[in-house]
Amino acid sequence: MTMKLRDKRVVAVVFLLIISILAPLFLPDAFVYLLGMAYLFVIMVVSWDIIVGYTGQVNLGHTVFVGIGAYTTALLQVPSRFEGTFLHLLSTIPQPPIYISILFGGVAAAFVGFVIGIITLRLKGYYFALVTAVLPLVFIQFLYVWSDIFGGEEGFSVGLERAIAPGSVGKYYIALFLMVISVFIMYVIVRSSVGYKFRAIRDDEILAESVGIDTVKFKVLSFVTSSFFAGIAGAAIVHYRITVGPTLFDIPLMLMIILSGVIGGLGTLFGPVFGGFVIYLLKNWWLKGLMGISEVLPVNDEVILYIILIVLGLTAPQGIWRYASNYMKKYFEKES
Amino acid sequence: MLELIMKILIYGTVVSGIWALTASGFSLIFGIARILNFAHGTFFVLSAYMSIVLIKNLGLNIFISYAIAVLFVGVLGVVVYKVMMSPIRHHEVMVIIVTLAFALLVEQVLLLLFGEHGRSVPSFVSGFTEIGGVLITYKRIVVFILAIAVIFLLEFFINRTRTGKMITAASQDIEAAMMVGMDVERLFVITMFVSAILAGFAGLLFAQVFAASPIFAVKSLIYAFAIVILGGLGSVRGSIIASFIVGYLITASITFLGARWAEFVMLVTIIGILVFRPTGLFGVEE
Repeated sequence: MTMKLRDKRVVAVVFLLIISILAPLFLPDAFVYLLGMAYLFVIMVVSWDIIVGYTGQVNLGHTVFVGIGAYTTALLQVPSRFEGTFLHLLSTIPQPPIYISILFGGVAAAFVGFVIGIITLRLKGYYFALVTAVLPLVFIQFLYVWSDIFGGEEGFSVGLERAIAPGSVGKYYIALFLMVISVFIMYVIVRSSVGYKFRAIRDDEILAESVGIDTVKFKVLSFVTSSFFAGIAGAAIVHYRITVGPTLFDIPLMLMIILSGVIGGLGTLFGPVFGGFVIYLLKNWWLKGLMGISEVLPVNDEVILYIILIVLGLTAPQGIWRYASNYMKKYFEKES
Repeated sequence: MLELIMKILIYGTVVSGIWALTASGFSLIFGIARILNFAHGTFFVLSAYMSIVLIKNLGLNIFISYAIAVLFVGVLGVVVYKVMMSPIRHHEVMVIIVTLAFALLVEQVLLLLFGEHGRSVPSFVSGFTEIGGVLITYKRIVVFILAIAVIFLLEFFINRTRTGKMITAASQDIEAAMMVGMDVERLFVITMFVSAILAGFAGLLFAQVFAASPIFAVKSLIYAFAIVILGGLGSVRGSIIASFIVGYLITASITFLGARWAEFVMLVTIIGILVFRPTGLFGVEE
């Protein structure tokens, strides 16, 4: 008896979940820590896929929303950063519990996404891409200009006692939980009628409009959803690493998100999960070993990632995941 | 105060000329091929660094080096088009991503090769004069004159030559252009060459006035965005006029607020235009 493809997928997901739950029992502490970070990175990639892959709006400033989430929770937890600045009134705000402040991170990112979306997404075409491309530079400048509050280039620490969990293993499980919940919610959204509207806009905006879809509303909704989860991921990372700083939300991170999405295949949701996971580990683990060559050639890990991205974009614009899943489908059809 | 305003006017004019070249190239290729070339800024920085290498390391004459550098980025523009844009043109998202990745790649390689600090270029004229109480080097004056000269050449090319008219026609209606038998692909290649040359020339002039720095692979692009949105996507004349508005705006904000505010002012400008006049000053409603 053969299973349907859908059932096989469910089995695969459950199987992977069991592996990830058991993984910390066998792996060294440092690697468990890295895997947890990879899970949080996956949230960023999947949320980026919502607006770019599913709705077809090129967002080049996704890391800004990650950053907004991060600084929101960091400042909520350490309001003393406002002391002695023009915003010193804010320093009296009582600190919310960590989980609430992570949620606030998401809400703040979603709010900024809403404002930018309302302005740029009512226009068709390229304005959204152009504006979001400018955002990271402005965001980073912002952090430097008010370095009293944001800690400038160095960033600041939120303190050990505000970590998401005391040890690596605890952090790992919380990161895993956050990823599963976030991806599940986003999965439900893209599978709902709202998700179909997103895709209708991506495939043909004018047609979508003519069958009565309020394209602006759904583009903004998609962007707000995407920004919200980016903010959650950024906020969670702050409590995972206990520090916040601009290097976490810089352009290289944006390119890593893009690369993961492209490798996984835009608009496939699970592809980016896999892409995000692989790219994060690739960048932070395997590529570190390669760095000897930078003595000889003008190459560093970023250069390698950019080259991979260009080559992939040119040879497999649909993403590797889609090739693999087409192949699998054919394989299963033959079998049954 | 009066002196300050004079300074903004004079310095702003020079900067505006440079940005006009950059933005009009960006606008040109968007207008005809509807391609957002995020690699546009690489032509800007590469020509500057190329000229530095030719002058300082190979000891070539400054003008010969400039000619080689500009030609080099022109050819590079065609290569970038053929390799990174033409094959995936219908995958608009991918074109943006791939060209952005290329821009960042070039920026990283330049950072590794030359370091993050700006590199100066030997200037082609020395000395300075005084205009309305503001000291200004001859270099800046020459840069401005050259920029204006190139803008006029561009206007001449687009409006008076046969190829230029074909480019305009194809920009207005690509399908009609194909129907009357124009080789549109060839026009794209020519436009890309011109567009890259304009950015390359702007980069050289910029390096004369300020310095060459790898971050301009992305920064010059941001300025081009702001200008192009203000002028109206796809309108070359709009871009040129918008460059002067943006040029004065940048110079004023740098004078009054400091250099680190420049990007912020750019963003506010872009957002402001999109709120009040989404099609820009000269944009065509699609």
